[in-house]
Amino acid sequence: MAGTDENSFPVVTLKYRQGDLIIKQGDYGISIYRIVNGEVLVYQESTEKDVPLATLGPGDVLGEISFLKKGGERRSASAKALEETVLEVWHPSMLSKEYQGMPPMLKYITDQLLTRFLRMNHLLVQLTSREIQQREAMQKEDPLNSRRRYYRKAVDMACHYRPVDVPAKVRLPGRIKDISLNGIGIEIRMQNTKEFSHVEGDSFVISTALPNGKNLELKARIVSLTTTGTPGRVFTGMSVTELSDDARKLLGFFLMP
Amino acid sequence: MDIAQLMHLYISGEETYDSGDIIIEEGSTGDWIYIIQEGQAKVTKRTAAGIVAIDTLKKGAVFGEMVLLGKNQEKRSASVVAADGPVKLGVLDFQLLLRDYDSLSPQLRSLIDALVRRLKETSERVAALVVAANQRRKVA
Repeated sequence: MAGTDENSFPVVTLKYRQGDLIIKQGDYGISIYRIVNGEVLVYQESTEKDVPLATLGPGDVLGEISFLKKGGERRSASAKALEETVLEVWHPSMLSKEYQGMPPMLKYITDQLLTRFLRMNHLLVQLTSREIQQREAMQKEDPLNSRRRYYRKAVDMACHYRPVDVPAKVRLPGRIKDISLNGIGIEIRMQNTKEFSHVEGDSFVISTALPNGKNLELKARIVSLTTTGTPGRVFTGMSVTELSDDARKLLGFFLMP
Repeated sequence: MDIAQLMHLYISGEETYDSGDIIIEEGSTGDWIYIIQEGQAKVTKRTAAGIVAIDTLKKGAVFGEMVLLGKNQEKRSASVVAADGPVKLGVLDFQLLLRDYDSLSPQLRSLIDALVRRLKETSERVAALVVAANQRRKVA
């Protein structure tokens, strides 16, 4: 049958430098690319921030969805070269001809695969937008109401902190054991309390890195100090006194169940 | 020849399952490909928070095909459970399909492989979102 010979496909090779745009979201196009070498980032452009979807490497195929949806489709995502990249561009009309002329049983199965993929993709978009709506709705709720939802989360995260009235270069180590929008529990070394005052009512600036890599900074006041089972360690319960809007948002996402 | 006649040539055996029976188990190996002749089946995926159903397959649906159409796809990526029994299945002739598959150009094979991988990834993300939505319902 036609198209079984690899050489019957006219193949064009293209070179991209690091950062070059390969596919622009929203453009019309049905060319298919195969990565010969290099690395390509596929991402969804949005008004706020680009959302990375996948990182592809040698052997991976790019742009197959627009092709399989039979053209006339806008590119659903952008792609750019992460390093020097060589791509093979396939002739869409020849591939399309071969696809249409595939052995019928195989075509029946592949068509189903495509239908199932489009159904899952549709479901994914629906579920994702519902997820975003719910997150936004939760943020709009008044703090009193959202206190119920933003439960106190048990964590174990390294942090550093300092009394509010000392220079920022002071970094006392600690481990956050639980956190909510209103309160924070930190396990510290007894040693810390000897270097700086740690009594009820003292205020501190606390910094930590959330699992997503973002830095969180807030101010809190000590409401309790208790010994832990571990010698040389103290547990401080603090009430959050200052949290910027951005930090509130960041922490809110992190606390979501 | 229409697809029903053609199908006949590819079916090498028949199996029947009762509601709740597992036809394909996620993570297991196997290369049987089935077509639903009667009844319905559910596609489920395992997640950290339990098993979730992500799709329903009806009469005429083929499943188990990813092992044939995907490269490096030896393990079953989802479970298929008989839902509306008795579910009558046709077992497709793997050798016959493999012969068809081998006749495709390397480009078309790569294209189909890309589709298999996209479907797999999308299904995984759908399963994770279904779990998140269920958990939120419980909390609220």
